[in-house]
Amino acid sequence: MSSSPVWQSLIAIMLMVVIAYGSRVLGLLIMSRVPLSPRVRRFVDAMSSSVLIAVITPIIVHGDGGVRLAAIAAGTVAVVLRSPLVSIAMGMLCAAGWRWWVG
Amino acid sequence: MKIKENPTRLDIAGTWRGIRMMLPLAVFTIAFGLAFGVAAVHQGLAGWEAMLMSLFVFAAPSQFAALEMWHSPLPLLALAAVTLAIHTRHMLMSAALYPWLKALPQRQQFAMVILLTDSNWAMALGEYQRGERNLGILLGGGIALWGAWVAGTAIGLAFGGGITEPERFGLDVIMLCFLLMIVVGGNPRAAMALPWLAAAASALMAYWWLPPYLHVMVGAITGGVVAVLLPGRWLRESAS
Repeated sequence: MSSSPVWQSLIAIMLMVVIAYGSRVLGLLIMSRVPLSPRVRRFVDAMSSSVLIAVITPIIVHGDGGVRLAAIAAGTVAVVLRSPLVSIAMGMLCAAGWRWWVG
Repeated sequence: MKIKENPTRLDIAGTWRGIRMMLPLAVFTIAFGLAFGVAAVHQGLAGWEAMLMSLFVFAAPSQFAALEMWHSPLPLLALAAVTLAIHTRHMLMSAALYPWLKALPQRQQFAMVILLTDSNWAMALGEYQRGERNLGILLGGGIALWGAWVAGTAIGLAFGGGITEPERFGLDVIMLCFLLMIVVGGNPRAAMALPWLAAAASALMAYWWLPPYLHVMVGAITGGVVAVLLPGRWLRESAS
């Protein structure tokens, strides 16, 4: 694994910190001036979950059978049982199992 | 509906109560932190990089998403854009808390949201709707979760390196399963099916045909736009 220069990592993490904390504060600042309209609220709400969908879709599509099976298992458990840890554990189990039996 | 409102308060007793209320969930957060630590090791992050993230970013979805992009040279712009898109949700969350926080001086308001994250937000808002006015619930919950997250990361970093073939144990799918769980497990709403489908399809096409990492932004914006274009009554009860 190639690791990036220290200064680059530091800048990246600092960026994340500023954005993560900034967005928490921004909500307060905006509300203290003008309430968010339902339309904006809906856009932001859908966008913040869609971004995660966008990250995982190519991983699933280009993954091996283990990855896909893990995705199906974890997604099903998350919807049905609503248990985050069981969901992740099932996903790992399925991926490991697939690679053990199928290769 | 409460008849007469208590004034907003913030004290040690309330904070302790928040910490205690959050402890059961904090146990799970240790496991998530552990998963992050292990995933970070296998993604090639130095221990201090993962630790700094957990200490100061304190947001599992964006940290896991960042792992996915952590290749040298770091795509700083894409990383910032993705973090921003994920965290717009925190903006809505703190906005929902504003009626409760506005009694405090602004500096204290800003301090209260440092440890704001999904679980303690949900717990505090639930208590607020039942008449709770002590902000210690929010702060205490945040402290418990933060401690658990950092401790879990440290454990994961310590033991993650000892495993030589991560794929055999399914360690490489931790990040995927975590993000998937956040999306569909948090609040599955049938109305989101269309925006999510649009996000997935557009992200995939962008992944194939556009420069690296743009697919994340394309998917995010498509999902948001589709949600706005849908008839309003479909999404009436959105997270508020």
